[in-house]
Amino acid sequence: MLDVDHVRKDFGSVHAVSDVHFTIDDATTFGLLGPNGAGKTTTMRMILGILIPDGGRVTWNGKTIDDGSRRHFGYLPEERGIYGKMKVREQIAYFGKLHGLRDPNLSKSVDSWIDRLGLSVYAERPCGELSKGNQQKVQVACAAVHEPQLLVLDEPFSGLDPVNADVLLAVLNDLRANGTTLILSSHQMWQLEELCSRFCIIAGGANRVDGTLAELRSAWPTRVVRVAPANDSLRSLLERVEGAKPLMPVDGAIDYQVPANTDFAALLRTLVDAAPVTKFEAIEPSLHEIYLRAIGESAT
Amino acid sequence: MIGDLSTVYVAEIMRRIKSRPFLVGLLVGVFAITVLLKLPTFLVGAINGSKTAILIGEPTLTARAKPLLSDDYKIVGSQSSGPVDDALLKHYHASAAIELNSNAAGLHVTVYAHDPGGVAQGDLRRDLLPLQLELATGRNAAGVSKITRIPVTIQAVASRFASADLASAAKGVAYTLLFFLYLLTILNSQLVMSSVAEEKTSRIAELLIASVNPSALLAGKVLASATLGFLQLAIWIGTAIFLGGGSSTGDAHGGSADQLMSLTNALDVITPGLIAAFLIWFIIGFLQLSTLFAGAASLINRTEDLGSISFPLVMPIVAAFLIAITGLSAPDTPLVVVCSFVPLLAPFVMFVRIAVSNVPLWQIATSLAINLVALYLIAILAGKIYRVGMLLYGRAPSLRQVWSVIVS
Repeated sequence: MLDVDHVRKDFGSVHAVSDVHFTIDDATTFGLLGPNGAGKTTTMRMILGILIPDGGRVTWNGKTIDDGSRRHFGYLPEERGIYGKMKVREQIAYFGKLHGLRDPNLSKSVDSWIDRLGLSVYAERPCGELSKGNQQKVQVACAAVHEPQLLVLDEPFSGLDPVNADVLLAVLNDLRANGTTLILSSHQMWQLEELCSRFCIIAGGANRVDGTLAELRSAWPTRVVRVAPANDSLRSLLERVEGAKPLMPVDGAIDYQVPANTDFAALLRTLVDAAPVTKFEAIEPSLHEIYLRAIGESAT
Repeated sequence: MIGDLSTVYVAEIMRRIKSRPFLVGLLVGVFAITVLLKLPTFLVGAINGSKTAILIGEPTLTARAKPLLSDDYKIVGSQSSGPVDDALLKHYHASAAIELNSNAAGLHVTVYAHDPGGVAQGDLRRDLLPLQLELATGRNAAGVSKITRIPVTIQAVASRFASADLASAAKGVAYTLLFFLYLLTILNSQLVMSSVAEEKTSRIAELLIASVNPSALLAGKVLASATLGFLQLAIWIGTAIFLGGGSSTGDAHGGSADQLMSLTNALDVITPGLIAAFLIWFIIGFLQLSTLFAGAASLINRTEDLGSISFPLVMPIVAAFLIAITGLSAPDTPLVVVCSFVPLLAPFVMFVRIAVSNVPLWQIATSLAINLVALYLIAILAGKIYRVGMLLYGRAPSLRQVWSVIVS
């Protein structure tokens, strides 16, 4: 289990991270979200032991991060780097060795990752000759070749086409199924929503909200009710709900924002009693909305 | 830590040994050694070859002058008289004609040459002095030559070397090794710097630092560089021995015993102690400088900035080289003695002092201790700069920021 316990990191007069805290269970996928400059990369660097926190601490299975635990971590930084002249196989093997893999396991693992990521054709070519997307896959292989216990991926999907994004998605799900704990940072919310079981949204170097998607949604103060057909009798009934606000109509339906604690069953009965209802939907907030609200709050 | 270090070390060697800068450096070194060793012989040969002359004058006079001039001229013919012109010189393939006349006032010499500037009057006066005295006194030239040659014996007092020849050979050896030290340090420190800068600018540094301890990464790089430095050194010394051995054999056949004597003297002064001193100071100096270069390289964001950041670091190497050159002739002057204790300078200067003079043991021990402590401090300093510098992108950090990293 990873425990990020109220960490703080300053660079001179710049407070990069002031108070970030969360815990991540083994073999789960965790989404670390936040706008640019929120402190995500600094937090990730502290998790990986690249930076030492000025306050608080990071522990892995109860122990402070050291070279021993780092050996079992993998990292895909946001800024991609690669040895352009080194061949694909050599590069993946080099990072495997740096994480303690030795033959025959090393060769097996390198071959397996080359195969999994569809890099067989390029295995003996210098990395610099590959397309950006394939270089990205080489870097994923470098980060995961040693089947890490914790894999931190900063914007792993950027630069990948939809097909390769699906390949990566499958690979990450496999890793998690095999026991790897994943920390992901991405601005592509739909992918995170699909992959992650827990989230932490940070802004200004501190936690804004954290929890499972269900927990985040339950804390959301409103819901959107979508009702069809769009007629005046249904609209007037929705207007009577306390705290309701009309939203832009969509495709012949009426959207109203209502408080989260609204009794939706009672509301549906009222509507059905008054007029024919072809559609009734209480829409949960998306991760994107939760994110925008969280960082909006931080800005105020 | 050791496992990481060895992985980085092997990978760095494999990557660098195939790199163009390393191969170019190696070949430039081989070329420079070849030129340094062969050029003087070639130039002397070319100059001597160009100093061919014919003698003109009475046969008895020219016959006596011929052996006296043989050190400076190759006499390719002689004739008793005749006009000297271009056709005559070309006929004998000579560059000059030396006309000898004698009268009551003594010998008179006239030289006709294609290149009058190349005629050294002093050489001619010295060479022909015995003949002049023979004509004036009636003693034969051989006898005169014998009495004009004053034997000079140099006795060593409290010197490391039993003779002037050995002392001279020691200077030659020290100069050669100093040159190797300078070349290796400059080349390899720059290579370490390029390697660090490449990893920083290609953004692979963060991935590496996340995988291995930055100290192991830095140490692996520097040690790999030192190993390649030794490899270069071995190849260069092998080249020097091969070329030196070849020329000595040739000279011996040519009858130049002096050259053979010089080589023998050089071999006499290359003692195990001198080799050990060279290796120890090479390692200390190389590690001090390349570690510093690596730390500095981590601060740049573009490889184009390498030149500006390496310039102030190259200065101590150049200064050390120049002071060490001074130390070859004056190893005990205050400046040289003081500099033989100063970190970054000592590896060059103390080595030269050890090679050409009797350095008290306490001075060697003190300098070693100071420089080992300095190496330790440089490693800590460079490690701190490297650890933070490799993650700094955007604007180059100010001196104040660097200082705050150092003291943190």
